[in-house]
Amino acid sequence: KGLLSILRKLKSAPDQEVRILLLGLDNAGKTTLLKQLASEDISHITPTQGFNIKSVQSQGFKLNVWDIGGQRKIRPYWRNYFENTDILIYVIDSADRKRFEETGQELAELLEEEKLSCVPVLIFANKQDLLTAAPASEIAEGLNLHTIRDRVWQIQSCSALTGEGVQDGMNWVCKNVNAKKK
Amino acid sequence: IPMFENMFISLWEFFYGNFFRYWMKWILRQMTGKCELQRIFDTYVGAQRTHRIENSLTSSKNKVLREATHVTQSEVDKCVEDIMKEKNINPEKDASFKICMKACLLQISGYKQLYADVENERKKPYDSDNLQHEKLLLKLWSLLMPKNKLKARISKQWADIGFQGDDPKTDFRGMGILGLIHLVYFSENYTAVAHQILSRSNHPKLGNTKVGYSFENCEVKYKMRYSYAIVGINLTEMAYSLLKSEALKFYLYNFVPGIPTMEHFHQFYCYLVYEFDKFWFEEEPESIMYFNLYREKFHEKIKRLLLDSNVAL
Repeated sequence: KGLLSILRKLKSAPDQEVRILLLGLDNAGKTTLLKQLASEDISHITPTQGFNIKSVQSQGFKLNVWDIGGQRKIRPYWRNYFENTDILIYVIDSADRKRFEETGQELAELLEEEKLSCVPVLIFANKQDLLTAAPASEIAEGLNLHTIRDRVWQIQSCSALTGEGVQDGMNWVCKNVNAKKK
Repeated sequence: IPMFENMFISLWEFFYGNFFRYWMKWILRQMTGKCELQRIFDTYVGAQRTHRIENSLTSSKNKVLREATHVTQSEVDKCVEDIMKEKNINPEKDASFKICMKACLLQISGYKQLYADVENERKKPYDSDNLQHEKLLLKLWSLLMPKNKLKARISKQWADIGFQGDDPKTDFRGMGILGLIHLVYFSENYTAVAHQILSRSNHPKLGNTKVGYSFENCEVKYKMRYSYAIVGINLTEMAYSLLKSEALKFYLYNFVPGIPTMEHFHQFYCYLVYEFDKFWFEEEPESIMYFNLYREKFHEKIKRLLLDSNVAL
């Protein structure tokens, strides 16, 4: 009986569910990041048509991560996934300098969205394994991140390919899950 | 209770694999005067035969037999002779053994070689500095869009045939040059079907019939249309995974009497593209966003088909 009641108690205190939205341009590395988080094979990733979703247990949270395709044609659908988002993760290909402007614009538009207001945002400056990658500080400056006042934010350099920096970013996510400013 | 059941099963597997199997084989050998390989040839045909021969060879205690599954084409005749020597098979008493064994070995080692060849192509990333890669990419455009000229190598027009951005090279990703080879192969050999799929997947009307969401100004015409090129690359991934997981064995053993080649793999890819398109429009997904759901459903359907040892597609 003692064991049963312990089990029942464990069952009644489930992990807090967290809804994480993973956005960014096509080829930013969102799906690789998602698979890296779920410890899955990342060697044969293909472009995402539509979305992928995976649940990952981390630090007492159940992270439900939504990876939405980044191709221009389906960006209008992003907003269908805004509702009840706890954390926004925005992924940038740090080596694709030609598209910094485009990615900056998309991010700025996201931050204007009412349904995403006050949602903490983590920016992954991805692909740091590439020699041509811009450092996170340069990207932060280019995107004028310091002007964000209405929410907590963080930029984290990482390589979804090697996994470097990913855990640091996720630690920040877990710390700021409940930081939605009201 | 399940724990004991599991223990019993693993005990049984242990004794079966290590003792009973060999006793049974010995008893059968004494009764029939034939070895396991010969008995398989007597009883089975097609993929079942090759599959059973493969299992028998792989689990053999004899090194010559075990290594036979990796034999190269040029050494296959010698390998069959070695097996016959090891198993004391008299070529005059069992004339068909040599022919049957050779055919099976070519299929078995051919499958492994095919996977190695496919993996080799997959691992080659698309390289813009490689003239052949570039030529192949432009060929894809002219096959699919014979009437529209591509205005520049980097161009928004690529989206018209279903690439994501203005340079297709990033879309090949984990499938490498294999993804492009497949797209070109299908478009070249089934040009009419490719055009039909492309026009259907671009058709504003067909893409408009089911509107899942109510927001406006949101390019409604893209609702059901799928992106031809990146869906094609996704199907390359499906074909590749099926080959890798050995799910294609029954199909290839039935379909190809000798060594399966790249050509046969490409043909299977074409089958997937054709069937997926049919599946997609039959299922009437409410939005392109559900692609992965239907992809998985389709994948399960194909895997079920391939489980049948008599499979023919």
